[in-house]
Amino acid sequence: MPEPLLTLDTLSKAFGAHQVLDGVDVTINRGEIVGLLGPNGSGKSTLLNAISGFMPPDGGTVAIAGRDITGLPAHRVTQAGLARTFQLPAMPSRMTVRDVLRAADTDAGTARRMLRTPARDSRVDRLLLTFRLSRVADLPASSLSGGQKKLLSVALAMRGAPELLCLDEPTAGVHPELRSEMVSALKAANRQGTTLLVIEHDMLFIRQLCTRCIVLDRGKLIADCAPEELEHNPAVVEAYLGKAIEKGKTAR
Amino acid sequence: MSDFLVHVTSVACLYGILALALNLQMGFTGLVNFGLIALFGCGIYGAAFAHLWGWPPAAGLVLGLVFAVLMGLFFARLGTRMSDDYWGIATLSIAEIMRLVFTNEQALAGGAQGVSGLPVTFAGLGGQAGLARLVLYAVLLLAALWLCQRIARGGFGLSMKLMREEPQLARALGYDLDRIRRIVMVVSSLMAAIAGFFYAHYLTFVGPEQLLSAETFLIWSMVIIGGVANNWGVVAGAFLMQFALAYVPFIKDWFDLPSDFVAATRLVIVGGGILAFLIWRPKGLFPEKIGGANA
Repeated sequence: MPEPLLTLDTLSKAFGAHQVLDGVDVTINRGEIVGLLGPNGSGKSTLLNAISGFMPPDGGTVAIAGRDITGLPAHRVTQAGLARTFQLPAMPSRMTVRDVLRAADTDAGTARRMLRTPARDSRVDRLLLTFRLSRVADLPASSLSGGQKKLLSVALAMRGAPELLCLDEPTAGVHPELRSEMVSALKAANRQGTTLLVIEHDMLFIRQLCTRCIVLDRGKLIADCAPEELEHNPAVVEAYLGKAIEKGKTAR
Repeated sequence: MSDFLVHVTSVACLYGILALALNLQMGFTGLVNFGLIALFGCGIYGAAFAHLWGWPPAAGLVLGLVFAVLMGLFFARLGTRMSDDYWGIATLSIAEIMRLVFTNEQALAGGAQGVSGLPVTFAGLGGQAGLARLVLYAVLLLAALWLCQRIARGGFGLSMKLMREEPQLARALGYDLDRIRRIVMVVSSLMAAIAGFFYAHYLTFVGPEQLLSAETFLIWSMVIIGGVANNWGVVAGAFLMQFALAYVPFIKDWFDLPSDFVAATRLVIVGGGILAFLIWRPKGLFPEKIGGANA
């Protein structure tokens, strides 16, 4: 029996008169890998921001494992078991890659840890190896290429073994060779109990990774199906390619 | 060691503690505090009130620390409601309000005349008192330096730097930025108040002109010139600035310049120093070490 992990109930968000999310209802079960698709401006990143506490929704609710987290600040949502990455990951210029990974230990921000020097962490070394960042581990994190920053942001999100990992275009700018390694790392995390929600435009990546896809268009959920069914779904085809013109009619 | 050198070094030690406090806030955490002098003011007025009320000096220290914690928490609370630049202006305003209240409220602590006659530390040691005070201030400075180094290199230091550099990323990683701000403000406020308390019992006088915003900018110049987010650097900056300012009167005498020259030149050294370093050497004389957790 599937166990719901993330439940969105009629989630809505508007920027002025522009309705960006319009009553989105989604349930993601524990252990799933779900792709979140949609044309540019369809509301994917806003949905992620509303889920992760970076942008409170105007209406509706968000729950993780039955616990209502609607409107909680981002750090509380993270503490509830959700980790996320950003579409354009900004990295510190005066911290090394290794230090940023070490900082991804939320306990480090407590007064109790004030004077304790962090020990060398084998988990950090493992993540550096997995994401091929060992060579740049002692460089300022901002000096990484766009693709490496994406890899680092995924490594950071995976650092705390979250219950739900939300990735915003994780492969944009990443070398194709590394994409399959990212797929392996994410699948391994999934086997260890992490549920994944992935925003992505790369359909090959989606097919390799996801077992289910949900599609947004103009803030509404228009499809919820297996990845291989997407191209046969008329609503999805219309959202991406526009309405087919009937034979015999001329476009004006 | 001449009395003059002992005096300048003693004051430099106390300003070194203030520079370390500002460095924890601004250097490591990115909290642009233009009202640091208000936290120092908690320490000097703690000493002043204890003296006025006939309490022992140690009670003045406790009073100053309590004021400092409350003031630090108030600053931190404001920080949750406004962006960094507005917070900087708010802190400057609070320090100015504090100075104006102490200037105009005669009943509070002597108004503009201030409070004089505070007992000088180690008065009973006679001729050796100056040196004994210097040793005490140096020990306090070293203790503050040790504390700041441990914080900067510890797990908490990493969270402070992440908050300074990428607050959005820090929040995404689960950091409560308000809590980090609160802890940093309380620790650095306590440091500033300790410096203030001992400064008051060094000069034996407390007055509102010690709370001038120019004093905050003097501490800023120490941090910027010494090296933002480098604890040793900001202490070096404090000594450099104190000695530079202390020798200005000698230059006036050598060149037989008018006495206005001293105050004006001090302002030029502070303002010009900040400007010159921001333009030509923004990382200061001793830049921050990147990869601090490994150091």
